[in-house]
Amino acid sequence: MLALDIRNLNKKYPNFQLRDISFQLEKGYIMGFIGANGAGKTTTIKSILNMIHIDSGEVRILGKDIAEHETELKQEIGCAFGGVDFYTRSKLRTLTEVIRKFYKNWDHDTYYNYLKRFKLDENKKVAELSAGMRVKYNLAIALSHGAKLLILDEPTSGLDPAARDDLLDIFQELVIDGEISILFSTHITSDLEKCADFITFIDNGQIVASSEKNELLESYRLLSGSESQLNQVKDKMISYKVNSFGFTGLIPSGDFDSSSGIRAATPSLEEIMIYFAKKEDMYV
Amino acid sequence: MYNLVMKDLKLAISPFFLILPVLLGALMLIPGWIYFLVILYFCWITVPVMFGQFRAQNDLLFTSMMPITKKDIVKARVIVMVILELLHVGVAMIFSVVNIYLYPDLTHFFFGPYMGFWGLCFIMLAIFNVIFISMYYKTAYNFGGSALVSIPAAMLFAGVAQWIGIASPVVSDIFNGSGVHNTELQISILAAGIVIFVALNMITYRIAVKRFLKVEIL
Repeated sequence: MLALDIRNLNKKYPNFQLRDISFQLEKGYIMGFIGANGAGKTTTIKSILNMIHIDSGEVRILGKDIAEHETELKQEIGCAFGGVDFYTRSKLRTLTEVIRKFYKNWDHDTYYNYLKRFKLDENKKVAELSAGMRVKYNLAIALSHGAKLLILDEPTSGLDPAARDDLLDIFQELVIDGEISILFSTHITSDLEKCADFITFIDNGQIVASSEKNELLESYRLLSGSESQLNQVKDKMISYKVNSFGFTGLIPSGDFDSSSGIRAATPSLEEIMIYFAKKEDMYV
Repeated sequence: MYNLVMKDLKLAISPFFLILPVLLGALMLIPGWIYFLVILYFCWITVPVMFGQFRAQNDLLFTSMMPITKKDIVKARVIVMVILELLHVGVAMIFSVVNIYLYPDLTHFFFGPYMGFWGLCFIMLAIFNVIFISMYYKTAYNFGGSALVSIPAAMLFAGVAQWIGIASPVVSDIFNGSGVHNTELQISILAAGIVIFVALNMITYRIAVKRFLKVEIL
């Protein structure tokens, strides 16, 4: 069953456009949603949550159309934009008391278990929490109302490496039973290398790739060689950098002839992102 | 919807604004004052500060993440406004009874605190709401522009009504003169004010919903 099914989503702004966004997330998996700043990650997420009016396309969550079943589906979605940044002068206890009333399946025992596990003190104010604790509080809320799909916009941005690692471990634990699915956007690619099953890569409002993590990495090759070798592959490359030793660049695996003698390696997610971002610069 | 109203009362609105009606209502004890001012303080103080708080506390994003419809978000906000307005008018009415006992022989130059006057206050608040709330929901965060139009509109209504009350002997007689003691007339003015208040708030809700449905939560 698909936890999230997005098809042909389009949204046009005067200076930016989401074009034909389609990707699917199977239930019980973690999908990383990567892209540079301004690539369209948050716009896509807000479109999924029906916060933005899409021009065309379809968003189905747990088999139901969000446009038709918004309130019903929001009972089963936990979403977060960064950490908690509303009512920051209120105590967690006060905030929770208000929030829990909105959810039919709120389980207070589960909530207290997560508070204990995340070492959150209910008597603290939101403003007193660190960035990592704010994300954890958001997760505790989402998990206590029985969310089946977590949609998290940059939950790890601004966290220190230890807090990020801790959070990624939690994500992995959550999906073990196969009930919960997670879509999280980030520009910190190492997070995804650690815990994502699938990667969806957005660049300039378009999906470049959406596939299983290793499949995505294998679909590109990172080349390095001399300037004379560059001329052989220049036209087929996504982008490249030239330095005094020669060049390095990214090429789709299908376009690379391994008998050409050019050194090739599997790129990291970061390298894929960088060369796609560079591609735009080259054509500007 | 009930949860949203409680959210506003428990979380979003400072308890100060629930006590303020008592402080402002006490102004009804000033003899022979322009009593429209007592209610206008709600428009001048409570509304801009409260809506500034909603924006500062990121209330729109918070509310949008909850499993509720956009219609309910608007309905709850209109209800909260009405609750606060009723609190202001209600408390001021209680103080006005004290006023009448304290100064039984006072000749009012402006409208005296009688039932007919409260009818006019309801109309003034209805005008304020219809402009403020429906303009506000064009963006659901920008309250400055809507306050700058709705507050002068409410003041203009109060000013014109008060001017007519002074200039016209007939009107003056209804609100301050012998007509004041005509209970039926006074009750019907108050009832008409309440009917207009209810009707305009229902229209306000409809316009605001229509506009808010087009708003994108950024």
